[in-house]
Amino acid sequence: MKTRSDSNGKSLIAQGEPMVWLAGGMFAIACAMIVSLLGLILCQGLSTLWPKPYVVFPLEDGNFVGGEWIANQRYSISKDSIDELPEQAREKASRLLGDRSLLVSDQVYLRTGNFDVGNRHFTYVPTILLSSEKPVIPKDIWLVERLEWGVLFGLPIRIERNVAPEMDPGFAKKQLLLQQIDRFRPEDVADQQNFDAITTKLRDMAERSSGTGSDTLKKDIEQSFVATEPNEIQRQLIDSESRMRGVQSEIEHLKDRLGELDGRLARARIHVRKAELRDKTDLLSSLDDGIELATSLGGIEQQWRDFNDSLAFWTAQAGDESTVQPWLKRIAEQAKVEAKQELEPIAEALQEWKNTSIAPLPPQSKNAVEEAIRLAQEASASQASINAEISRLESIRSSEQLTFAIPISDGSQLEGVSEGVGFVRQSQSDGSIRYGWRPSDGSKVQGLTEKTILVADIVRWFQPNQLSLVGKARVYLSRWIEFLFGSPREAGVEGGFFPAIWGTVVMTLLMSLAVMPFGVMAALYMREYAKPGWILSLIRISINNLAGVPSIVYGVFGLAFFCYTIGGYVDGGPVKAGFTPWPATTWFLACALTVLVGTVAFVLAFLCSGSPTQQSPFAKRLSSISGLCWLFCLLGFFALLIKTPFFEGFYQASLPNPTFGKGCLLWASMTLALLTLPVVIVATEEALAAVPNSLREGSYACGAGKWQTLQRIVLPYARPGIITGFILAMARGAGEVAPMMLVGAIPLAMELPLDREFPFFHGSRSFMHLGFQIFSLGFQSQNSEAAKPMVFTATLLLLTIVTLLNVAAIWLRARLRKRFQSSQF
Amino acid sequence: MVTGEATQEIPKQSVLEKGYRLDRLKAIADGKTVESVVHEDVLAAEPVLRIDRFSLFYGRKQALHSITMPIAKGQVTALIGPSGCGKSTLLRSVNRMNDLIDSVRIEGDMRLGNDSIFAPGVDVIQLRKRMGMVFQKPNPFPMSIFENVVYPLRIDGERNKNKLMEVCENSLRGAALWEEVKDRLHESGLGLSGGQQQRLCIARAIASDPEVLLLDEPCSALDPIATGKIEDLIDGLKGNYSILIVTHNMQQASRVSSHTAFMYLGRLVELGKTSTIFTKPLLRETEDYITGRFG
Repeated sequence: MKTRSDSNGKSLIAQGEPMVWLAGGMFAIACAMIVSLLGLILCQGLSTLWPKPYVVFPLEDGNFVGGEWIANQRYSISKDSIDELPEQAREKASRLLGDRSLLVSDQVYLRTGNFDVGNRHFTYVPTILLSSEKPVIPKDIWLVERLEWGVLFGLPIRIERNVAPEMDPGFAKKQLLLQQIDRFRPEDVADQQNFDAITTKLRDMAERSSGTGSDTLKKDIEQSFVATEPNEIQRQLIDSESRMRGVQSEIEHLKDRLGELDGRLARARIHVRKAELRDKTDLLSSLDDGIELATSLGGIEQQWRDFNDSLAFWTAQAGDESTVQPWLKRIAEQAKVEAKQELEPIAEALQEWKNTSIAPLPPQSKNAVEEAIRLAQEASASQASINAEISRLESIRSSEQLTFAIPISDGSQLEGVSEGVGFVRQSQSDGSIRYGWRPSDGSKVQGLTEKTILVADIVRWFQPNQLSLVGKARVYLSRWIEFLFGSPREAGVEGGFFPAIWGTVVMTLLMSLAVMPFGVMAALYMREYAKPGWILSLIRISINNLAGVPSIVYGVFGLAFFCYTIGGYVDGGPVKAGFTPWPATTWFLACALTVLVGTVAFVLAFLCSGSPTQQSPFAKRLSSISGLCWLFCLLGFFALLIKTPFFEGFYQASLPNPTFGKGCLLWASMTLALLTLPVVIVATEEALAAVPNSLREGSYACGAGKWQTLQRIVLPYARPGIITGFILAMARGAGEVAPMMLVGAIPLAMELPLDREFPFFHGSRSFMHLGFQIFSLGFQSQNSEAAKPMVFTATLLLLTIVTLLNVAAIWLRARLRKRFQSSQF
Repeated sequence: MVTGEATQEIPKQSVLEKGYRLDRLKAIADGKTVESVVHEDVLAAEPVLRIDRFSLFYGRKQALHSITMPIAKGQVTALIGPSGCGKSTLLRSVNRMNDLIDSVRIEGDMRLGNDSIFAPGVDVIQLRKRMGMVFQKPNPFPMSIFENVVYPLRIDGERNKNKLMEVCENSLRGAALWEEVKDRLHESGLGLSGGQQQRLCIARAIASDPEVLLLDEPCSALDPIATGKIEDLIDGLKGNYSILIVTHNMQQASRVSSHTAFMYLGRLVELGKTSTIFTKPLLRETEDYITGRFG
């Protein structure tokens, strides 16, 4: 007989060793997957913004290609693909290929930039095309990040500033009279000569006055300059940039004001529409005529005001010039008459329109319309002056320019260059500078394309091949700061992700706010109140399964239910949401029925209240009837809501433009709340089930009621578990993209969902979302190649945000858990 | 000598005959109605709680069979019997903790003082406030020692700090825990040792000054030293409170109780003074159980 001890030390299975290796191996694979995923995202995400050197490779055909070096990649040459190569390379390739059918070679992946000249951001160059694999590294090359057209690489040729008289704030005021003065030319021939003399005198004064007093025009004109020395260019550029920053912010401020005026006008229109809906009148169709009249009235008034200003300016300028003053006075009188002639008919027309269109209206409508007309008149006046100021600032903005030689051949040849290899600098006879490419064999020097850009368009510039480590770190840091806190440029490919970060955080928090009470209450009912039975089991299984439904399904549901139905209801009442309202009588009857059923339910519930162990079968039947009545009452309530003929929406005035009846932050949060609800319910239920029954019994034995026990003992004990559910829900919700595409995330949003503008929270706005941004940048944008590095950075950011939110919640849970740590026995 | 729905007089001589004893236990096992033996002196004592023909069913299964017994005021009454005989069920019925189980159905009644416990319309919460209960395993709430003790007052909405402090101190002194915890009243109750936790639970049970104290095997999860302390405590509480204690430990029952009830398969078999039950019980079955011959 074989004894048990015989097999000792022989059977591996008995020792359990093989399972250790299997399980350990699986564990190692899992670890490797996590590490490599994180490593990839970290590496790619962190390195994208690090400045890299600029290299130039000479090509076989005497040309050259330059760019920021990104990577060397595999490139295979076969017999078929040789034909696609340029002629010079074909021979080399077939020589290398020999008898083999496939040859593996390299290709260089370069970021060329200069999209506006070269029509590409990136290029792949097979090494077989290069005459030398050792790149030239031009020391003087600049990298310029711009507001538009992406990155520019180039050699600076000159910086210039062209100051023009129009850039002076007083210029318009001074010129207005001189431009308009011919209107006041007297008909009397004798006077005409006098008038001409005065005009000439004024023109003289305009010339002379430049550069005196507050008028700094002349000084400015003297400040025009052209610099071509590289050091001088840098120095001037730093000055120029600080000037441009001021101008830029002023322009943006003015544009904001224009937008504000438009917004006020739009709001006034909505007010009129509201009044129209309320008073059942037809205001909006005739309103346009009135607004047109008011706008032209306001504009013309402003023109005459400007003219009078100009006149006043000249009156002050002329001082005690006895010959000029009487003429100015005469012009002023004449202007008054002309202004009256011009303005009166319009004012009369407006009054006429008011009399016919709005006089018969009810007072509230009348007020709304008058307010809109007044606003239109004011807005037109301020718009004119703001636009004038903007065009002045724009002219300043475009006055300072920087010209580069772009490392792309312009087809011309530079003569007389004999020294140097790579990019060579040549002073021309007219004092200008040209750059050319001189290959190492020195055959012929190709001229480089020139490109002029505005200083104001420059976001950041540096010389990538001259940066020290500290310099690189500074560029890196400044790029990260822009990335985290700036707004997007170029459709999100460049610039900051702040709106996306903000949108994600706000939406996730809003979702948590929505899902937590719902989920916890539902779980509380299921675990603590509901009677266990097959119905409860069925519901529990359904909820668990809901957690596995593809998220896009929730997106479709959210769009149909939240956006179109509830949003439509909020916007325009039942009709907009697709329900046919009942007639008023039917509705009132239904209302009475619901109230009746509700009362019956209440009375029945009151009658059969008491402990279930003591109930008679009759009381039990009564209580189930009461339950049915409650259900009917609830359904009736919803039916009354969706069938009411008395509600026409809160935002009916702005229809057909939807306010809440489209994808927006609120509905996106609600959809996500629905999506994460099963997670919260399951986690909360588990947490509640883990509360020891002895605690509940202890509490009941002290004479506590059900709710007191739940509130004081069960919920605090279950809180860490509930918060775990909250963490899981948040982690899932923050990273969800598919439903976001349908219910409100957009690639580029101008406004934040939570900002400093009253009422601070704007639930009806669309928003940017990091997850969606990753998708749309990487795969939807026109320039997805350029956006690819950004995809990794955005991924890193999304991971960081989700991690941060989780860490915050985990910290909270740990703090709570400490309070319930047991050291029993 | 004999109470209950006596259908048949039991002569004392035959009670002590072995043959009859077998019949009696067999009769119980067969589900026949068997009368309880309740000693005269127990009936003479003033009762705080009267259990009156009380039966309890878990679904179809009957757990308690028409139990009738008085619980003497100011005394300790111990419930003993083999596992599954319904001691705990009876104890938990007194403060209607069995209401929490859906399938439970009861017949008969209990009376606390003059008030019925199971009559329809009884406010269970008010009822429970008149009793304190201590469970087998210490179950302090996840809050501070202070909050644990004053929990019954808190749920009544008491906010007066001084009042709460006074009750806390009195209860902790009553549970002989004051000296050990007076410096750390605001630390978690879960940080105490097992014996201290159980005394904390007793302090909580007596905080609302109950009429009856129900102890459900309060020492079964404790070591001998902690058990000794609890037993001393029960001894000290005797007189102020009427105590009903379930125990598996025969020595404990003999040490702490003044009355002892022996139960078997959901029936009360014998109830009498502890001294009598443990020395010369009327029934041979009781004697056999106490001496360990069966059960």
